[in-house]
Amino acid sequence: MTDTRLIRNFSIIAHIDHGKSTLADQFLLKTGAITQRDFRAQLLDGMDLERERGITIRMHPVTIYYTFKNERYELNLIDTPGHVDFTYEVSRSLAACEGAVLLVDATQGVQAQTVANAYLAIENNLTIVPVLNKIDMDIARPDDVKSEMEQALGIRPEEVLGASGKTGQGVEDLIAALIERVPPPEGKVDSPLQALVYNSHFDSYKGVVIYVRVKEGTLRKGQKILLMGGRTEHMVTDIGQFRPTPTPCEKLGPGQVGFFMASVKKLEDVKVGDTVTDALYPSLVPLPGYKVPMPMVFSGLYPSNNNDYENLRDALARLKLNDSSFTFMPENSEGLGFGFRCGFLGMLHREIIQQRLERDSDLDLVQTAPNVTYEILTRKGEVLVIDNPQKVPDAGQIEEFREPFIRINFLIPTSNIGDIMKICTDRRGSYVKTDYLSPTRAQLVFEMPLAEVIYDLYDKLKSVTHGYGTMDYEIVGFKSEDLVKLDILVAARRVDALSTIVHRSTAEVRGRRLIKKMREEIDRHLFEVVLQAAIGSRVVARESISALRKNVTAKCYGGDISRKKKLLSKQAEGKKRMKQVGQVEIPQEAFLAVLETGD
Amino acid sequence: MANDKLFNGLPWIEPRAVYVHIPFCAHRCGYCDFAIAVGRDAEMEQYLEALEAEAARVIVPRPVATWYVGGGTPSLLPAPLLARLGTILNRWFPLIAGGEATLEANPESFDHEKASLLREIGFNRVSIGVQSFSQVALDALDRPHQAEAAAQAVKVARDSGLNVSIDLIFGAPGQDLPAWNRDIELAVALAPDHVSAYGLTYEKGTPLERRRRSGLVLPVCDDTEHAMFGLVMEKLPALGYQHYEISNYSRPGMESRHNGVYWANEAYWGLGMGAARYVGGERSVNTRDLSDYLRLALSGAPTARPGERFEGLEAARETLFLNLRRARGADPVEFERRTGRSLQSMLPGLEKVIDARLLEIVPDGTVRLTPEGRFLADTVAGEVLVKAGRDD
Repeated sequence: MTDTRLIRNFSIIAHIDHGKSTLADQFLLKTGAITQRDFRAQLLDGMDLERERGITIRMHPVTIYYTFKNERYELNLIDTPGHVDFTYEVSRSLAACEGAVLLVDATQGVQAQTVANAYLAIENNLTIVPVLNKIDMDIARPDDVKSEMEQALGIRPEEVLGASGKTGQGVEDLIAALIERVPPPEGKVDSPLQALVYNSHFDSYKGVVIYVRVKEGTLRKGQKILLMGGRTEHMVTDIGQFRPTPTPCEKLGPGQVGFFMASVKKLEDVKVGDTVTDALYPSLVPLPGYKVPMPMVFSGLYPSNNNDYENLRDALARLKLNDSSFTFMPENSEGLGFGFRCGFLGMLHREIIQQRLERDSDLDLVQTAPNVTYEILTRKGEVLVIDNPQKVPDAGQIEEFREPFIRINFLIPTSNIGDIMKICTDRRGSYVKTDYLSPTRAQLVFEMPLAEVIYDLYDKLKSVTHGYGTMDYEIVGFKSEDLVKLDILVAARRVDALSTIVHRSTAEVRGRRLIKKMREEIDRHLFEVVLQAAIGSRVVARESISALRKNVTAKCYGGDISRKKKLLSKQAEGKKRMKQVGQVEIPQEAFLAVLETGD
Repeated sequence: MANDKLFNGLPWIEPRAVYVHIPFCAHRCGYCDFAIAVGRDAEMEQYLEALEAEAARVIVPRPVATWYVGGGTPSLLPAPLLARLGTILNRWFPLIAGGEATLEANPESFDHEKASLLREIGFNRVSIGVQSFSQVALDALDRPHQAEAAAQAVKVARDSGLNVSIDLIFGAPGQDLPAWNRDIELAVALAPDHVSAYGLTYEKGTPLERRRRSGLVLPVCDDTEHAMFGLVMEKLPALGYQHYEISNYSRPGMESRHNGVYWANEAYWGLGMGAARYVGGERSVNTRDLSDYLRLALSGAPTARPGERFEGLEAARETLFLNLRRARGADPVEFERRTGRSLQSMLPGLEKVIDARLLEIVPDGTVRLTPEGRFLADTVAGEVLVKAGRDD
């Protein structure tokens, strides 16, 4: 058990692609935790999906040892995700640390995510060790970036170190700075145990693995512990640290980070943010926990084949085991049958969940267009929380229709200020301010409805700034707006799963674009298919898909029979992810048409 | 069939037809995705050796009722090699008396000498790839021959006493309805025994399809194509050619018996590069690569991968799909004998196309496409292959 004086707990906060994982791997290499041979890119990103996308979602702690001035230090590196959807996971990581490496790419400069996470670290009273990465590159512009850091975050240029995750240059100086600048954790070995549960995961062999940061006292193997929030008692069966592979140990003292198992069967029994204490000598008060993250983006998930409903439920339940931030509730759509309304932290989170579901469970899914949570104040004075457009009551019952607003912060090249202004005002944004970080980079702040952001704002930002712009946002509250439910009728049938909530001023344009897009996605049928967009009983747009008139291949002789048969069968079985609504077959693309209509 | 006694096995198990593929072509036409070989005429002789080797490996000589030599361009074979082809066919697949023997010919490689040689070998029918009499359409299709050459070829065949079928294509880029009407009239003026009229298909991977995708070629619009198909279906029967299959018309009694085997879902041999066969209930296809084919056949190795077999409902669906290519459709007696299932039992699952009046059931139990259904034959076929006879 390491003396608290010799422990340093820190995170690395950085924007995506600024080289966080490579730098983390350099730490492992320089401290001998892995050999050059094991040095595979992004060791910390354990999940395939994370590795594929080059992002970190799940926090994975690593314990490394480093001898500095003849003393052997224990360094605990707690990884953080770099995407706006996972801000709450970042704050969880930071709560387990005393310091944070603020990593900025010397070629790209300060990005929105850097600012957001740096402020999170400051709010958590963490000591920040600022570092410029990629200083070995020719296009690095360290002086400019240092002045951006000073402008945006108030960091003194002389405090900023330089490093290269690729070559390892400057990494040892960085470790020395961490040891010298970051304070050791507080806490006494013999105080009543207080350990913060900052993550957990379900392992099909070992059961629930609980990740903790010990604040006070000692966690021992064989100890009887109490989960203070859940009021359940368990016996600690195994304790260990990731060095970087799971390595058993006997106990964890104050300041140490590690994991333990205690025959907990279900992940729900362990709440992230809960405090672990000794069952016989309990701490009187729990540690401050975390605020439970609120899903902000919802969409319906339906099996293409109605018989897969149970399978989908099982698959969602399995996913939920390792991702408590995502929610699901059964729902029923007239058009789509039985499915689930799922809540996500954001659009990336939603995409990741969908991919994981399809990969792990081999289910063919139809997903409805995403929407945010709305509030409706009814004439009777009730407040309804609406996570599904289908639940919007009749217009006559609505006193106020409210939607969530965000404060959005862009860091962009100054040459793109005009473009971003236009994009935001087109999306009902109201301008707050502009700050210049340097002659070439500016921070632009807007307030706008969350609903206007979730579809394509991020893609738009990336495309107009050629990848140099970044954004971050936080929810500021609900505001009453002139909102309406836009319904879509296919062959005179209202398809509830296609309803969306839109601002009245844009309803007509949206409706027109939406059914135009759907017209391209729905195949011709044996009859004319009419598409309509309506607000209440008023039709605001109409399109029709003319009947299929000719579908015949000229030749069918001996050589073609097998091939032709396969081709025709495939056509008849229909595209994958197709839902039959009445007589009309609607492909997944049509359900998501709304995503692509916000130009 | 008059010579049924010659055959012992069931016609869907034991073949009575043989297809031989001759892949050589002088030129690849823009729309063609067949198994062909261009610029490799030097290998023709070796190819005939390979055909014989393939035949020797898999079969003992046996009579058949139809030959069909397709390509490629079989008429491109020089006379001595055509003679050799005749020797092979007559040795391994002697044609029964009254049998039908067809060879595909292109106007630019067909003359009196070859025509009379074909007669000597035993051929009695040529299928001539005319495609169009309009130079605009021929150019669009990237066909090498001149419009006049086609008429000449038909005349040559006629003079030698060969039955003549001509192929026409409609919907070529730049072709309009009057031009198509003229093509039909000019074709009929040559008095062929049989006409195949094909709507142009933009096959994946062909130069024409690539040009369409990149916007260099504008396909005729849906309505025009629909009208063209409608026109030929109306016009040829009025001129004495029965519409007996979606793309085929003939004078009475002059239907292609060889192709009839395919639509009855009966067995056939296949020989040569890329050739398909359906023998003993198994379908297989030879390699489409000339070098591979030569190497495999000449070394006595199998030229096809292991085949596929279909049984039960799937086989019955396949039979119905093929039967529906014929104007007469599926006959209840013939169908039950062929598949062991009643035609009636195949109807559940087909409500969608029956309700849309694409498929009709005649009082005698025959099931066939309606005139409207012919325009949507692939839609019906898809439903048949996936849903016919479904009991759930």
